[in-house]
Amino acid sequence: MEKKTIRNFLICGLILLMVVLFPLFNNNFIIRFGTDILMFAIMASAWNIIGGYTGYASFGNVVFFGIGGYITAILMEKAGLHFSIAYLAAGGGAALFAVLIGLPVLRLRGHYFAIATLGVAEAMKALVQNLEITEGNSGIYLPMLDLSVQGQYYFFFYMMLGTLLMTLLITYLVLNAKLGYSLIAIREDEDAANSVGINTTLSKTIAFALSGFFTGLAGSIYAYQQAFLKPEAVFTVHTTVKMIVMAVFGGMGKLFGPLIGAFGIEIISETLSNYFLVAHTLFFGTVVILAIVFTPKGLIDLITQRKFGISYFLENIRRHRI
Amino acid sequence: MVILEGKNITKKFAGLLAVGDVDFYLQQGEILGLIGPNGAGKTTLVNVIAGVYAPSEGDVFFKGKQISGKKPYQIGRMGISRTFQIVKPFPGMTVKENAAVGAMYGAGGKNKSAKQAIQKAEEILEFVGLADLMNKGADQLSVASRKRLEMAKALAMEPELVLFDEVMAGLNFSEIDEAVELIKKIQKSGMSILIIEHVMRAIKNVCDRLFVLHHGEKIADGTVEDVLNDDTVIEAYLGRRYKELTH
Repeated sequence: MEKKTIRNFLICGLILLMVVLFPLFNNNFIIRFGTDILMFAIMASAWNIIGGYTGYASFGNVVFFGIGGYITAILMEKAGLHFSIAYLAAGGGAALFAVLIGLPVLRLRGHYFAIATLGVAEAMKALVQNLEITEGNSGIYLPMLDLSVQGQYYFFFYMMLGTLLMTLLITYLVLNAKLGYSLIAIREDEDAANSVGINTTLSKTIAFALSGFFTGLAGSIYAYQQAFLKPEAVFTVHTTVKMIVMAVFGGMGKLFGPLIGAFGIEIISETLSNYFLVAHTLFFGTVVILAIVFTPKGLIDLITQRKFGISYFLENIRRHRI
Repeated sequence: MVILEGKNITKKFAGLLAVGDVDFYLQQGEILGLIGPNGAGKTTLVNVIAGVYAPSEGDVFFKGKQISGKKPYQIGRMGISRTFQIVKPFPGMTVKENAAVGAMYGAGGKNKSAKQAIQKAEEILEFVGLADLMNKGADQLSVASRKRLEMAKALAMEPELVLFDEVMAGLNFSEIDEAVELIKKIQKSGMSILIIEHVMRAIKNVCDRLFVLHHGEKIADGTVEDVLNDDTVIEAYLGRRYKELTH
């Protein structure tokens, strides 16, 4: 047991070291690609808290991304505040919004919750399109980061990396605390969870707020990186779908699942679009379907179970009756 | 001392009477049996006590404090835990984690860390005889073990009162005898118990008193002996041949 922990620790450290050193050996195009992967890894991991652990499949998590981005834009552009303040306010604002919206919406279960969150995101998009302070459909500019081009690539890469590490660390701490057990209990059977003394409303709301917080932070960094935001692009449901697909592909309800999912999905879709310019989404869809049929518990299950034989895949198909 | 008391409890579902004007009480340290035919309102009454439903009329008192109208988790934390007739384990968790969740959030969980709760869970699983299966998934258990896990979850909450809703349904004779022993052991450890059961073999062995529901109304209560010989109870629930068969 002890040996195993040390070994896992070493592997994680080694991977982390590789990621930290990654920008130093690559060109800016690849650093930017890495930054995108990290951003989606944050968002998929954040989605995992409410969708994977708590079992509430949010179809509107992009709303936190957009809110984080717009808070950053408004605070920096209109109020002239420093990015560090805007960054924290973006997370806090998204979390607060999650609490406010969660209190009514988290009363719904299953499909109804999914539809309601989808509606919230769309409504927020419409609101941002029509408000004066967000400058509506014409979009809002942010001040540029005052660094060399190279420095900018480094800055955003390491901001995303730092935020991802914080997301994973806090999720890990939550999972090992009482809160984590309450979330999984809610996912497994909410009525039973309530009867063993769990204040399910409170636990769910905290989970939703955490999910919103980290997604908001990702939105904040993204906004600063782009230096220009448009409601249509920032609040697109496509982003939510991507978070979900990544979390499911990598392994829902597993700490490192969404991380592996984000990495895998981005690499696959990038490679496919290099080879098949027009039809790559077709192949991409096929890959995702195959992955879900053969490894419904996600890629991480392949790694942790260490079963690569055909019997593992057949067993999955049989068990999940596909 | 009366630990649990129900006064004029009535529960209607859209006009349909499930429980009508029922009074009952439970002494500290006592095992009270609740029997009656299917659909008599037994589980509804447990759900009213546990806070799943608020009573349409009447009140429930726990240690003199009114609890009707409170939410299930609040009642759970006050010291009443319950099992579900159709067991509700957390299937994606291990047996140990299942019990640990109870230990974390029940009456005794307030000052417990996650680690201490897991220790408590191990003790409880030892107590109910599930120690060997501790690290198995809750979805891999047999019926008898599932019923035991349901009890373990309730006991891990360190309640003063437990509501057992048909914890012996589906068990064979030897498993029933084991469950009876376990319930006696629970009583000895100082808890009060309300038990719903159809298994007469168990009712006769563990209950101090009985009360009987029929069409939502209380038709009898008293000592086990008196209630089982009551003509209305025989007519409504036990059947005329019950006497011939058991005597």
